[in-house]
Amino acid sequence: MYYQFGSKKTKWLPYLLLLPGLLFYFIISLGPSIATAFYSLTDATGIKGATVNWVGLANYREFLFMGRASADNLAALQRTLIFCFAVTLIQFTLGLFIALLVNQKLKGTNLFRTIYFMPVILGAVIQGLMWRLFLYPLGGPASKLLALFGLSSEFLGGQPSEAFAWVIFILIWANMGTTMMIFIAGLQTIPSEMYEAATIDGASTWQVFRNITWPLLTPSVNTNLLLNIIGSLQAWQLFLVLVGYRNGTQVLGYLIYATGFGQTSGSTSSSFRQGYAAAASIILFLLVLVIGMSVQYILQRRERRILG
Amino acid sequence: MRKSKLFPIVAIIIFTILLSACGGSGDQKADENVTLRVLVHQNPPMVAFMETFNQQFTERHPNITVDMSVVNANDLSTVSQTRLSANDIDVLDIFGFANGAQPYMKMVEPPNWQQLIDANLLMDLTGQDFLANYDNNTINDAGSYNGKVYAINLGRVIYSGIYYNKQLFEQNSIAIPTTWPELVAACEALEAGGTPCMTAGGADGWPIFVGAYGLLGAMYPDQAELVKGLWEGTIKWNDAKSLEMWTKMQIYARDMMEEGASGVAGDAAPGRFASGAVAMFPGGSWYAPSIEAAQPGFEWGYIPFPGSDVAADNQYWFGKYDQGWAIAANTPNKDAALLYLKEFSDPANYQAFVDAVGFIPTQPTAKLNTQLGTEIAPFLANFQVGFEQYWIAPKGAGQFANPWASYFQPFGTDDDPQVLADKVQADLQAGLDAVK
Repeated sequence: MYYQFGSKKTKWLPYLLLLPGLLFYFIISLGPSIATAFYSLTDATGIKGATVNWVGLANYREFLFMGRASADNLAALQRTLIFCFAVTLIQFTLGLFIALLVNQKLKGTNLFRTIYFMPVILGAVIQGLMWRLFLYPLGGPASKLLALFGLSSEFLGGQPSEAFAWVIFILIWANMGTTMMIFIAGLQTIPSEMYEAATIDGASTWQVFRNITWPLLTPSVNTNLLLNIIGSLQAWQLFLVLVGYRNGTQVLGYLIYATGFGQTSGSTSSSFRQGYAAAASIILFLLVLVIGMSVQYILQRRERRILG
Repeated sequence: MRKSKLFPIVAIIIFTILLSACGGSGDQKADENVTLRVLVHQNPPMVAFMETFNQQFTERHPNITVDMSVVNANDLSTVSQTRLSANDIDVLDIFGFANGAQPYMKMVEPPNWQQLIDANLLMDLTGQDFLANYDNNTINDAGSYNGKVYAINLGRVIYSGIYYNKQLFEQNSIAIPTTWPELVAACEALEAGGTPCMTAGGADGWPIFVGAYGLLGAMYPDQAELVKGLWEGTIKWNDAKSLEMWTKMQIYARDMMEEGASGVAGDAAPGRFASGAVAMFPGGSWYAPSIEAAQPGFEWGYIPFPGSDVAADNQYWFGKYDQGWAIAANTPNKDAALLYLKEFSDPANYQAFVDAVGFIPTQPTAKLNTQLGTEIAPFLANFQVGFEQYWIAPKGAGQFANPWASYFQPFGTDDDPQVLADKVQADLQAGLDAVK
């Protein structure tokens, strides 16, 4: 569809109005992304005034093929995928389930919506500190709870797999409210007449969900899936606050931060390697791009099929 | 019409740019109001001392306001780098220069302090009067690079000692351990009496493995030679001597450390020890003021980690040059920053600093008059800079290429010293092979 914006000088007006937004996007988002791709081919330290040398693909070679460090990097990549799968699956399912519950026309649903959404408004640092206190192994609430059953745990400081599982749990707790709200918004767009007609026709609860709610929720399903997948692939803040740099727990997002800012060796004088971190960022970007685009392609086909 | 509206706007913008450019000058008038931005790492006694010092400093110089930021030690290098790059800092806390690349190390990255100097972000302090207050070795070893001085170092610290609760030792009739078997026996006796043996600030990660650096030192007293040997392949993390170290580290992590130590914050560990909840606390000398502050009157002692079976091998202190001061090269408040360091370096003030923080002094006129000074005195002649200050891992080395006790359960996944030793050596060897 074409719009008429007038003639001569006035026809440039919409483009002129778009310009500030475009400039903002280029400066804040696209510009740094292009710069990251450039820096990934250098030995940049991120220090202002430091010499930057062109190293070609050396950072990529080191990340992917050099010694055991590359095996550790690939393990972090694998862990990132596991993290993404677990977070997306659980957060999506739980968010949908709770949205269905709090979308009922019952007293008190607004209170529950608020409670479930509350963690979203807290920052990652506050969320992390709250859970560190809760999981304090020397007499914290979780420790006392386990003690009732004669059990004990080091929680975040113990086995890496357990610490990793806790980060998954806490991220879901932190973000599930957003997923729920998007589903609630989607549920409220479904006309109530459809439910009434289905009830009159004698459809069961499952049939109503499968044939009315689920297909008509498609836009919300797509939005939530993409947000959950991309958000979990890029997660790193909670890893920093909850477990720090520990073998067996790093995901790619946190590895990028740690290598870029000299946090990997345990020494206070580790070097800054932002060129190398930029190469890792580009690898993460490609991962997000491939997964994100594939998922989006599948979801759009599904949406066209269902909604036309 | 359009021109008449544009002109004042353009004039204001140009005037603002000119003003901000003038503000970038490094000089300021003596009575000009200045906000001095200072960055320090979290160490409660040091922060408390700095707050008092800042108050006195600003009373003497009413035109100067000190805006001090405190960050976790793990984040100091990151925050320093970003704030230096943004010209948002005047005086910064910097650890003693360490981890310089040695001739036998190949393809290693320069340490962050060297990167900052190479990028002209730290001010050259060479020739400043206050440098004469510090001993020459400290200036050369911990604050100089390419013949110029970029930092003054405020003290050495020991990280290979163990604090012990004198009362609990007496109650359980336990003698101060001087060998590894005696330490094991002491822990067993304490556990049998219902007192957990040790704690550490495991929530911060590093206190668990740094706590066992004394064990590493007992095995390899010459830590510079250890690093060289590892790089050249004459020492391996899975040879017989190292295997003994791993076996002892497992006992340290699994049997000596109290259950739940992984959740104790670094700042909270001294208080937990001082409360009498545990009998020992392997930790750095910088914790002594916190222990005293947590429980005044509490009776404690500090001994070298008895990692060897032979008492004579357990008479070393291992440590590092800790906090120092540097000035941002591009500071707009150069005079105030130099004045700050000059007054801090005044011998009377420095003595008060040492008394408060417990650092081993780097000014020859200062004395460590505290209880810690008495405790460490017998072995102070045997002080050595530790492994962490020399070690740089080769590129390509795996994540286990470190002598860290925290790899063992319950803090890590490993429970077999031989398997772990082989894994650590393989991770190191992969890096050495990669940089050949």
